[in-house]
Amino acid sequence: MGLIPSFIERKDVAESSDSIQISAIFEIEGRTLALLSDIEKKRTILSTVPSKLSEEADILLKSEEKTGAQINLDTGSKVEGYGVFSFSYGPVSAGVTEAGGFKLITYGERIVKVVPQINFKKRGVEHKAIGMKPEDALLLVERSAGNFSASYSTCFVTTIENILGLQVSSRSRWMRAVAIELERIYNHLHVFARLSETATQNVAAAEANVLKERVLRINAKYFGHRYLFGFNRIGSVYQNHFTKDRRKDLVNDIKNITRDFSHLVTYFLSSRIFLDRLQNTARLPHLDALKLGAVGPSARASAIDWDDRITYPIEPYNDIFVEIETEDEEDTMSRTMVRIREIQSSMLMLEQLLDRMPSDETMSDKTSDNGLNYMQDNFSFCRIESPSGDLIQVVQLDKEGYIKFLHIRPPSLVNWLPFAKSLEGNVFTDFQFAYESFGLSYADSDR
Amino acid sequence: MVKFWILHGIKNGILTTKYPKKKPTEEEIPARSVPPFAAPESNWIQGQETCPTDAIENNTNSLDLGRCIYCRRCSDAGFIFDDNPEDRHKSLQAKISQNELIRKEVAGIFSKKTNIFRKSFHILMIDVGSCNACNLEVLNLSNPYYDLTRLGIFFTNSPKHADVLVVVGALNKAMVDVLKQTYDSMPEPKLVISIGACAISGGIFKETESFVSSIDKVIPVDVTVPGCPPSPIQILQGLLLCMNKIEKDERIPGSKGGL
Amino acid sequence: MDIIQTVTIIGIFASFASASVIGYISKKTCYTLGIIGSSFGIILAFWMLLANTTPIDLTFWKVTQHSTFEFSLSSFNAYFLLICCLVWLGTCLYSLRYDDYPRGLASLLVLTMLSMVVIILAGDAVSFLVGWESMTITSFFMILMGKGKPDVIRRAAFLFLGFGEASTVFIMLAFGGMFSSFGSFDFLSISTIHVSGITASWVFVAALVGFGLKMGIAPFHMSEWLPIAHSNAPSNASAILSATLTLMGVYGYINVLTHLGQSELWWGWITLAIGGISTLLGALFASVSEHNKGLPAYSTIENNGLIIVAIGVYLLSSYYHLTLLGGFALVAALYHAFSHSISKASLFLIMGWISKVKGSFDLNNQVPISKDERRGSYLSGIITVFSLAAVPPLAGFVSEWMILEALFQSFRFGDVTSQIIGTITGAITALAAGIIIIAMTKAYGFGILWSGTTDLKIKNVFQQMLSIRTSFYYFLFLVVGIGVMAPGVFFLASSSTNQILQEKTFDTFVTGLLGIPAYFVILSGKPFGGFSPTFVAVFMTGLLVIPFIITRWGTKWKVRRTHGWFSGQNQPNDTFELYNSFGYSTPIRIMLSFLFRTKERIIQVGATRRPVILSPEEYIVEVEVLDVFKKFYDILTKFTLSLSYHTARKVMPGKIFVYLIYIMAAFIFVLLYTFFIIM
Repeated sequence: MGLIPSFIERKDVAESSDSIQISAIFEIEGRTLALLSDIEKKRTILSTVPSKLSEEADILLKSEEKTGAQINLDTGSKVEGYGVFSFSYGPVSAGVTEAGGFKLITYGERIVKVVPQINFKKRGVEHKAIGMKPEDALLLVERSAGNFSASYSTCFVTTIENILGLQVSSRSRWMRAVAIELERIYNHLHVFARLSETATQNVAAAEANVLKERVLRINAKYFGHRYLFGFNRIGSVYQNHFTKDRRKDLVNDIKNITRDFSHLVTYFLSSRIFLDRLQNTARLPHLDALKLGAVGPSARASAIDWDDRITYPIEPYNDIFVEIETEDEEDTMSRTMVRIREIQSSMLMLEQLLDRMPSDETMSDKTSDNGLNYMQDNFSFCRIESPSGDLIQVVQLDKEGYIKFLHIRPPSLVNWLPFAKSLEGNVFTDFQFAYESFGLSYADSDR
Repeated sequence: MVKFWILHGIKNGILTTKYPKKKPTEEEIPARSVPPFAAPESNWIQGQETCPTDAIENNTNSLDLGRCIYCRRCSDAGFIFDDNPEDRHKSLQAKISQNELIRKEVAGIFSKKTNIFRKSFHILMIDVGSCNACNLEVLNLSNPYYDLTRLGIFFTNSPKHADVLVVVGALNKAMVDVLKQTYDSMPEPKLVISIGACAISGGIFKETESFVSSIDKVIPVDVTVPGCPPSPIQILQGLLLCMNKIEKDERIPGSKGGL
Repeated sequence: MDIIQTVTIIGIFASFASASVIGYISKKTCYTLGIIGSSFGIILAFWMLLANTTPIDLTFWKVTQHSTFEFSLSSFNAYFLLICCLVWLGTCLYSLRYDDYPRGLASLLVLTMLSMVVIILAGDAVSFLVGWESMTITSFFMILMGKGKPDVIRRAAFLFLGFGEASTVFIMLAFGGMFSSFGSFDFLSISTIHVSGITASWVFVAALVGFGLKMGIAPFHMSEWLPIAHSNAPSNASAILSATLTLMGVYGYINVLTHLGQSELWWGWITLAIGGISTLLGALFASVSEHNKGLPAYSTIENNGLIIVAIGVYLLSSYYHLTLLGGFALVAALYHAFSHSISKASLFLIMGWISKVKGSFDLNNQVPISKDERRGSYLSGIITVFSLAAVPPLAGFVSEWMILEALFQSFRFGDVTSQIIGTITGAITALAAGIIIIAMTKAYGFGILWSGTTDLKIKNVFQQMLSIRTSFYYFLFLVVGIGVMAPGVFFLASSSTNQILQEKTFDTFVTGLLGIPAYFVILSGKPFGGFSPTFVAVFMTGLLVIPFIITRWGTKWKVRRTHGWFSGQNQPNDTFELYNSFGYSTPIRIMLSFLFRTKERIIQVGATRRPVILSPEEYIVEVEVLDVFKKFYDILTKFTLSLSYHTARKVMPGKIFVYLIYIMAAFIFVLLYTFFIIM
């Protein structure tokens, strides 16, 4: 008790505004709470579930079940007609490469409806974390989605630091930002490579893969791990040899990659075959994106200008130049363009970050404040912009400092339904383009 | 456009690794895929306590690579990693045995007489509950840095065409039947490689409620590649071992410059 | 006329006639008599083709000096008699078990066969027309016996009758033209006198339309598939209709052409164009057909188109005096008629049996059937389908190879326009030959093979009997036989064309080459292509068997059974989860939407009424493929119906069948009477 009443604020706002999308939903102390994002006014509302969003909430809640079996993310609409059948894809497939599947309801070639099948590999990280020490739980959290590890661990440690009121050096926070941006770059490059591969642009795919491997090697060189595991610690970061000289080397490496990437993009955008496959493929209209709760680059490609780095900036982001990249064509091309521009802006950001990084370990005067000042009863949450979008983690600690409650709202989970919606009316060959362009990960949604 | 790619390619030169003809470079084996190699004996108990996956066993003084997730928390307990060449000499003073997970040999199939996989080798990856890092590392094998096809290794989409099943991830309840079915669907002769700590022992997820068991309890595993995730070059070593292109002794398990 | 001819002719007529009477009492006796009659026919045909090549005119009733009822026996019509009797024998065998339709089907079936015998053996136009009419009428009644909605069946049957009568009218026009030249109706036997001048062109067009209507070629292809598909006619009747009734069209057309003398240039062009279009349309519509028997019926259109193409090459060659090429094309047409009739009858019978057990004619309706029921259909089905999809060394491949080879030689034509038309037709034919593979894979995969591949619960249990299986294997034997022993069939076909071409073609086209002994290589013109089906068969068998022996020698037989691969998921236990035939051909519907006029509609029900646009309550999918010609005929039918509705009711307020039978009888009577008077 004590926690709940002060947080249910502005329920009237949640019921009235049209631009509100449901971000996370969780049960704490027997109550169902929702985190809502007001896209227009750029704010987060903690509230009970508003009645008009109950339908989305149902689907989100359904996907939260702890099971050892798959869940069909089905909106329940029937499909009728001569020759209609369901085409199963996955969980063992070359296109998806992860343990997850789809049911494509189709009459051959044309996709009528997509039912994503998730939770083939739900490991129950949230459940397992209860009763663990935060530093033990950190290992679990950062390994729940390998390719978003830096975002996951940063989000987690920031929340813990927030709750514990720990002083963290600015340098550590800046290094976390460096890691997150590196992660964004290699993930976007991965998407880019996979898209090129799907369009059988093999040279472009190989070039993008080379760039990705170079970023991964930078990760290994400066953070010790190709996928940035284990560099975050609560209250600090694991630092080895991040000296000024090495920072300069890193800036040089990034400049090289930037140059090669801009070459790649120039020639990529001049390939008509490629553009033809991307344009008008898998459109996600703005209204659908809003109502279905799309996040990240996929939402920004449908003209939803929401980026946690700007809306809720943690320390370095309010100090450097960041820009929201949006597009309004709503198709796969837009999503790809958003990602391309984000790679470029991330590279610019990295140069700024490394250039101006504090070189000593003076503690930051700022708390881990990113505008989300809900901190009561050892309960807090944090929003971080992961490569695929807005990542939310809600943590509550008990009095001994053990984890009492953990909720992770991964970006991929909420992007499944927008993805399914965007594919309606497209043909089979568009499937892979849509899947790759949304940057979906089963590991992420099945944490 | 074509001109650009050709010039670009000539300018960049050959990126592909020289492995297996030469030893892998330092860049290809990242620091975090190297386990601790030494520690004062007095620190073993402390190490065992800090280890989140029980990879360090006090009573046998051994390190189980199949469990190690390379989190480096034991460095706080005085375990030594050779990131710095200066640290290496310390290992010479501390005599510590390293005990790897026993890797089973595949009897008969790739003895020198019947090297049926030497020329062409089709792999199918199955994810039974990984964090996607191992998946990406397996996929990375096809990029120009590692270039699987030069060694006659190809990805395939169906178990009916596969020679080897590459298993990644901690076996999830929902995936047990799928794994068995996939293995059954493969034609004989067939091999299984389990990749990463999760597949070998459950890794960090071994106590989650959906974890079933290690892969070798469900289907026979021939080669294991430890790591969290193992680097592509280590996965390549595992594959080459299956193809009988390298000897077991030539293996460089998770080490920088050999142990 | 020797003893064998006398006995067999009497045998044929006696068997069929007695069978048609007995059919109302005992089906089994009727079909057995049908088998006996067909056997007599086979003996007669072989006798004529192999032993005695001098044509015989057998006049048995000289009505006037112009008109006689006479039978003509030559190696030319013996060839067609052979094809028909081979098909009938298998069909009667099959019907012994298959027929559970109301009484009368057996009689009608045998009567149809009898009418066809009359058509083939007719030496004069009157007997031909009598046979033609009675064939149409009996077929009409057989279609009426189909299972399904009464109004649909009636509609299909009347459509068949309408096209049939139109065909008769045009044939009469053609015969009229010929009569004006010959001054007699006894012109159907092979003769050396020819029709010429403007009359010849008239006869040509009338014959093309008249016989084309029966063959179901474009733009009259409704006459072929609609009655069979829409009415779900009995499968043995379908086999007779599609395999031999269309063959009558081929026979009549070639027969009339032989009397036309020097051909005009544009005849060849038109024939090639119509043939090419029919081939392509038939192949395309077969690949998107979702009906167990509609698909083979469309394939018949494709095959008849190919025959017409070959005849077109023959016409052009005879215009340019390319005797060799013309002979080759004509033999190709005859060979294709043979291979198509046998394969198509086989496919219809297999599809019919599967449909009967499934209880549905819908390819999409996937009902599993027991192993016992499917016996014989797998092997026989795949060989038949291979033959129709032109896989070497089977009959379909040999004939299609011959037709394409003939078209390749269109560079020999002396005119650029002819060369271009020949080349384009060749391209279209080759394209159609590719597309028909889709249709045939679909027919085999979803029609025959699918029903055995699941563990779904089996519903209907029939007992398959020996007669069904025997008929399957009988056709299997024939399909393989006429393919592998192609030179043998080539001998029959060329001996039947000898009188038309006035020379012996067999030795020209069949030789030995490159170490292959004589009489085993088919040459298409000198010097052009060559092909030896026999040795390809031997070679392919070797390729299959030798590696098998090498790999299996000394090793233990090890068979491991696993389930199908459903990308890691369990085998579906619901047909909704399985790929279906509609989905298989939807890509073609979408890709060729400009040809099919495909309309796809996904209607979202309840999408806007909800407070939140999450998803609609229901999607309703509608996919339509439009045949432009069908649209045209629909409009025509509607117009005719509305016209006749107002007039007919006033004139004849009784049972329509009585009127129909009356009209037919009156027609035949008037026909005969007219000849008495005129002569």
